[in-house]
Amino acid sequence: MELHLTSEQTLLRDSAAKFTAAAGPKVARGFRQQDPSFAPARLRQVAELGWLGILVPDSANGLGLGLTEFALVLQQAGRGLVCEPVGLAAISAAALGSAPTSHPLLPRVMSGEVLIVPALQESRAGDDPLAPRTQAMGSDGTIRLTGQKTFVCADGADGFLVSASSNGVPALYYVTRGAAGCTVSSTQTVEGRNLATLSFADTPAELIQPHGAARNAVEELYNLALFALSAELLGVMEKAHEVTLDYLRIRKQFGKLIGSFQALQHQAVNLYVRIEATRSLVFQVAANNDPYRIDPLLAVAAKAKASENAMAVTEACIQLHGAIGFTDEHDIGLYLKRAMLLSSLFGNAAAQRRRYVKLANVAG
Amino acid sequence: MFRHDTPAEAEFRIEVRTWLEANLPVALRWRTARPPPEEVLPWYRTLSRKGWIAPHWPKQYGGMGATLNEQIIMTEEMARIGAPHLPVQGLNHIGPILMEFGNAAQKARHLPSILDGSVIWAQGYSEPGAGSDLASLATRATLEGDHFEVQGQKIWTTWGHYSQWMFALVRTDPHAQPRHAGISFLLLDLRSPGIRIRPIKTIAGDDEFSEVFFDGVVVPAENLVGKLNDGWRIANALLGHERLGTSNPQFVIAALERAKTMARASGLIEDPVFQDRLAAASINVTALAAMFSHAVELTNRQDSLGPEASVLKIFGSELIQSLNALLIEAAGGLATAEQPVTTNFGSIDIAAPFLQARRATIYGGSSEIQRNVLSRRVLNLPN
Repeated sequence: MELHLTSEQTLLRDSAAKFTAAAGPKVARGFRQQDPSFAPARLRQVAELGWLGILVPDSANGLGLGLTEFALVLQQAGRGLVCEPVGLAAISAAALGSAPTSHPLLPRVMSGEVLIVPALQESRAGDDPLAPRTQAMGSDGTIRLTGQKTFVCADGADGFLVSASSNGVPALYYVTRGAAGCTVSSTQTVEGRNLATLSFADTPAELIQPHGAARNAVEELYNLALFALSAELLGVMEKAHEVTLDYLRIRKQFGKLIGSFQALQHQAVNLYVRIEATRSLVFQVAANNDPYRIDPLLAVAAKAKASENAMAVTEACIQLHGAIGFTDEHDIGLYLKRAMLLSSLFGNAAAQRRRYVKLANVAG
Repeated sequence: MFRHDTPAEAEFRIEVRTWLEANLPVALRWRTARPPPEEVLPWYRTLSRKGWIAPHWPKQYGGMGATLNEQIIMTEEMARIGAPHLPVQGLNHIGPILMEFGNAAQKARHLPSILDGSVIWAQGYSEPGAGSDLASLATRATLEGDHFEVQGQKIWTTWGHYSQWMFALVRTDPHAQPRHAGISFLLLDLRSPGIRIRPIKTIAGDDEFSEVFFDGVVVPAENLVGKLNDGWRIANALLGHERLGTSNPQFVIAALERAKTMARASGLIEDPVFQDRLAAASINVTALAAMFSHAVELTNRQDSLGPEASVLKIFGSELIQSLNALLIEAAGGLATAEQPVTTNFGSIDIAAPFLQARRATIYGGSSEIQRNVLSRRVLNLPN
């Protein structure tokens, strides 16, 4: 179903579409196993368009836009298989720009000069993001972190926003990549970029304040991450589906276009239903449009559904292509691999459901 | 993007909630099936006297003239209190059709009796030989001077045996090509001579359906709606609204609650595997609610829904079936009990709602037909 957008939102979506059209599968292929796995110059172009500061309030020189606008940009990034970490950089900027006095690094983050990414995960299975085992000791000025973070998109990053417990309360800290006792160990992914494990041993860190006094900065950033990934996954599955529909319209077997076969038509419709459910959920999360007041239950629902659906859609797209879809040469596999990466980050569908059970008190 | 209550809407919500709490009889709350006429019609008339029976009808026809947001608030509040299904063929189908396609005399005659509940309407579309392939319908209406003579049979007529009038699709040109170009839209008084109505018992044990036989039934020519042979367009004009109506999340919310209550009663709620499935189901209910809000938003802006509304029908109907599957699973050995089961968490109807849910993917265009529609008209896949 179409989204009803204002003329400004339509303009934004169209310029994002234009920008990301220059990316696409060919460009994404070129970054596989490169370090960094994206073009820093392109990230600075994104910054020039203002999108790294899209959620940052006007008062801190950001665009001061809402979640709907953010989702429109990320959806295009997903469609274009954009490799630059636009979403992660933008939510980090939002976290740095949210406190009454924004962080001194914020201008350089919004300009794309400094890349900061979230480091919130700790275990393979995706445990409670609000109960990190990484510990923060000491007080202002002399804070030290000890612990480990996993699945961090550290390629090209200059620093990290790390969740850690301070006297049992989760808080958010900034750690520079070169900080004492911080080691980064990377693993190559099938998707092309690396995921890193960060180890901290008495590593100096700086506390990041939440948006409002009563809020928690870790929760804000985590909910933003779930939302950003859901919007990007929506774009990935949508584009993969379109590529597949195009194929069904030109491929002939038994003397007929295979898209005329009802078995394949119904399969294509099933994927469409999944995409529409994801679209409605993503923009329902965005409904209040306030990046610092995301409904946690809705964000979990959106990430669960987006992760599940992106996997199901891109897997089926391979099947609908037949043998050609199984080749590295064909682009459709790139969408599956991107879906694998984004679905797994910050907790896959099953991890989100486990979180939903707790948050919604399903057993209560 | 999507709807949030404005202060005025929030106030309206409280007004509706308070009034429902005070006026909806407890015996009519949380019923799994539509209660029979003698039970549900008094409630229908209470709503009518309050002026709330037709929120979506314009004021000029005696409706509430409510905004779509107010209509949603009302259905949400009805869901919250477990209000029963009403007979809706008059309110949701023939009423709006007459407003758009009926002449002044037809509107004056029929709209008031829908509002006050004195006439119950039935829909006469399906036939034994015309289900999914509705355009092949064969009930014949022959124009003889000032009247039609109707011969044939309708089936799967919801509440046919409780209804006084029927709106029907009838064949007025047997040679028309394509076939739907020979169909007209006719209003029939079910008390006319030559009509026989037989209830059909469903697998759920109720008799919501019936079959209706027409043998030389005389129908005044003035009961034709719109032009001769233009019935197909008229019947299809409001399908988007119908699909939106049947996808109202109130039904899946109630089904989810029932499955959860059963799981609490059986103790399965403690099982992590079941909790995972319950979470998946809850997330799907959230997704349907989001899709419904999305569709309402579009309807608000464009005043119409395209064929993409079929997405809601598919997702919503398959969801209600999966929620009932969860209910059956939670019930274990109790699943087959014919009557509601008494538990520490109240009386729970198990087999009946599960069986009733079978119809969701069949009526109003089966899931397979919806997929054909989406494939051709939205995804533009070749024929």
